[in-house]
Amino acid sequence: MSLTDEQLERYSRHIILKDVGIEGQEKILNGKVLIIGAGGLGAPIALYLAAAGVGTIGIVDGDLVDRTNLQRQVIHFTPDIGKPKVISAKEKIKEINPDIKVNTYQYLASAENISDLIKGYDFIIDGTDNFAAKFLINDACVMAGKPFSHGGILRFDGQTLTHTPGNACYRCVFKEPPPKDAVPTCSQAGVLGAIAGMLGTIQAAETLKFFIGKGELLVNRLLIFNALDMTFRNVTLKRDLNCPVCGQKPSITALTDYEQAACDLKGQR
Amino acid sequence: MKIKVNNEYQEFDGEITVSELLTKNNVEMPDMVSVQLNGEFVKRDNFSSTSLTDQDEINFLYFLGGGNF
Amino acid sequence: MGLDIKKSINLHNISCPMNFVKTKAALAELQQGELLEVLLDEGEAILNVPRSLKDEGHQVINVENLGETFKVIIKKG
Repeated sequence: MSLTDEQLERYSRHIILKDVGIEGQEKILNGKVLIIGAGGLGAPIALYLAAAGVGTIGIVDGDLVDRTNLQRQVIHFTPDIGKPKVISAKEKIKEINPDIKVNTYQYLASAENISDLIKGYDFIIDGTDNFAAKFLINDACVMAGKPFSHGGILRFDGQTLTHTPGNACYRCVFKEPPPKDAVPTCSQAGVLGAIAGMLGTIQAAETLKFFIGKGELLVNRLLIFNALDMTFRNVTLKRDLNCPVCGQKPSITALTDYEQAACDLKGQR
Repeated sequence: MKIKVNNEYQEFDGEITVSELLTKNNVEMPDMVSVQLNGEFVKRDNFSSTSLTDQDEINFLYFLGGGNF
Repeated sequence: MGLDIKKSINLHNISCPMNFVKTKAALAELQQGELLEVLLDEGEAILNVPRSLKDEGHQVINVENLGETFKVIIKKG
């Protein structure tokens, strides 16, 4: 593969970087990323990955753009209200970078469809807002041996980890979803819009690092930040050999849909 | 004794368990936090029977569910 | 000099940083140890491009002043 003059210009600020260069940019251009959730996290992630030239971007979301989304879901604009989020996102990606191949999946990820969804992708990104989906993405990726980025935000807080096969997974830290409604989701507790951008761009940077193969991923580490104090904390994690999904004798060998809090089912209207 | 809680030292007189430490730190819903003590996760059932010792390092990791809506 | 130049590019009138980008693109097509000839403008270009290439582990083995431009030979590192 040889980059065109237009590509050399578009990606010049990447190519100049010693740790990216032509070779790194080519890896990015060949990359296939699946973003699950085109909301607060998925929006900045999709924008930056499109701009960076990730060759194929898949977006999974069954929801329509709502006025309440616009405070943080920066890929959706006011005229998009009522439009499927995957379509709204695809239109913006194409405007930023027409070279990107965009696959849209206008439905919720579920135990039934997730294995097929992730199959063709190199890296998966969790941009969902509920624990059922977060555990489902974790379990499906661990079982399929796919690397992924976990992200969660609430109020002024954010946390993220990157999983690659053989290393700590989300379930090593959080054994199972909390009881329904025990922990508020964003729609109940609120979230500062910029937090989504802060965390989403960290996830996007992890994705690009994964492709260029440079630096240290957030593997076996949980990055936690609080934007009120503006403090960042890294917690070292160890893979749990008794983890129910990635441990030596996994007790979870099939995917299940956990019951979701009622407000999370909005997208299925 | 000194215990490093979420990267910051806290001082305690006498024995303290994980449960008591969670209460002292105003953790709203102790059932919803993952506790890592010196790099190992503590089972929720053992929160009240696990005592801390000087220079222990403990991290409270919370569920953060948001992202999409 | 009888050097075995594998590839030659003319970056006259190409400003920073695109001249560096195009040099990197040309080097990417060569094997380690092979030689690239680059024509660079005087001023910013000749000051910056060879320096950046050295930072990335390439070797500048000859610089020839042609007046408005410089002919630079780079060995891929």
